[in-house]
Amino acid sequence: MSASCDAVRARFTRYGEELLSEAERREVRAHLAGCRSCAGEAAASDPAFLFAAAPAEEVAAEEVSRILSAVRTGIELAETERRLSRARSRGRRVAAAAAVAAFTLLLPGAVRRGAERPEQVSAAPVKQPQPAGPQDAEGSGDRQVPRLSYLPAARPSESGRFPAKATIYDWNPGAGKDEPRVVWIVDRSLDI
Amino acid sequence: MELAYSEERRRAEARREEDRDLAVAARGGDMVAFETLVTRKTPAVVSVARRIVGDAEDARDVAQMVFLRVFRELHRYDERYSFNTWLYRVSTNLAIDFLRSARSRERAHGATLHLVRLRQELTSSETTRAAEEGKISRLFQKVSEGMTGKQKAAFVLREMEDRDTKEIAEILGCGESTVRNHLFNARRVLRRELERLHPGFVKRREKP
Repeated sequence: MSASCDAVRARFTRYGEELLSEAERREVRAHLAGCRSCAGEAAASDPAFLFAAAPAEEVAAEEVSRILSAVRTGIELAETERRLSRARSRGRRVAAAAAVAAFTLLLPGAVRRGAERPEQVSAAPVKQPQPAGPQDAEGSGDRQVPRLSYLPAARPSESGRFPAKATIYDWNPGAGKDEPRVVWIVDRSLDI
Repeated sequence: MELAYSEERRRAEARREEDRDLAVAARGGDMVAFETLVTRKTPAVVSVARRIVGDAEDARDVAQMVFLRVFRELHRYDERYSFNTWLYRVSTNLAIDFLRSARSRERAHGATLHLVRLRQELTSSETTRAAEEGKISRLFQKVSEGMTGKQKAAFVLREMEDRDTKEIAEILGCGESTVRNHLFNARRVLRRELERLHPGFVKRREKP
């Protein structure tokens, strides 16, 4: 046993108690890597030394490629999921916005009209507004829903459908200058 | 042709770049940089994961999770700090989580675990032989079962990966004194379990 071995063995306890400096610690580990006698002695005094000598896991190049490939697939899956989720939430937002618009715009109008005249709900294309009211309902081809206040408010008439992918609703198309009138456009795929 | 050539050239460049630069490039959307990091760091991540979770296949699963997490969380990486430390943090956390869930599964199958332990005790001489033949990793997994995830991670990083306590504290997100505490307790568990699984092992070694 060399003097160096004595010096190293004298450090075992302090090594285990984390009292060595990093430089002293490196010296001990370097010595143990090349001295079987001291390595055995070290493991006897502190089992940590036994496991410090455990070799690192060997990972073959094919395994690295396999892991890389799995990571790529995982990223693609996550991206696809994110896109789908975004599309779904966009669809929900549009539908919700259309519904909210209908509710918020209709309600004040219905209230303002109040008792002055009966509630009338009709729908007509914007380009061909029809006067609202019971006296006009018979003469027009629009679907009339008499005395319905609040919701559901309006339904599209056949003529209210446009060849494009949207339907235009007009609540109270015959409204006068000072009367409330609500017009809204709904994507047909989200038609309420 | 031009695109393929450009990508090959980028891959060659990336192989010469440092981890930190690759991480920054990957954060900006450079997939070649990210894949270069994965290729370069896989052996280290698998190694530390293997030492914590114990099983080779589980370690490879953990490595995949680590790189997916790294990809998702790259925006959190602060390039003023070592990329390795950050990567070790992600790896260690996921390995500890994996270990915890594996132990929960074991608890759910208590009877099976009891039989496994019984078998381990009966084959302790085989275990010792394995250690003497250099199959230290297997022995470590057996004697470290009584450690908490953090104790095991601290011990693996300190003794097997040879990291200093300051870096381990950063990786585990705790103070250096806590790391030393984990190390002290980990050593105590090792000694106790080694003596239980193989009585006389330490004594015999004391008198070569």
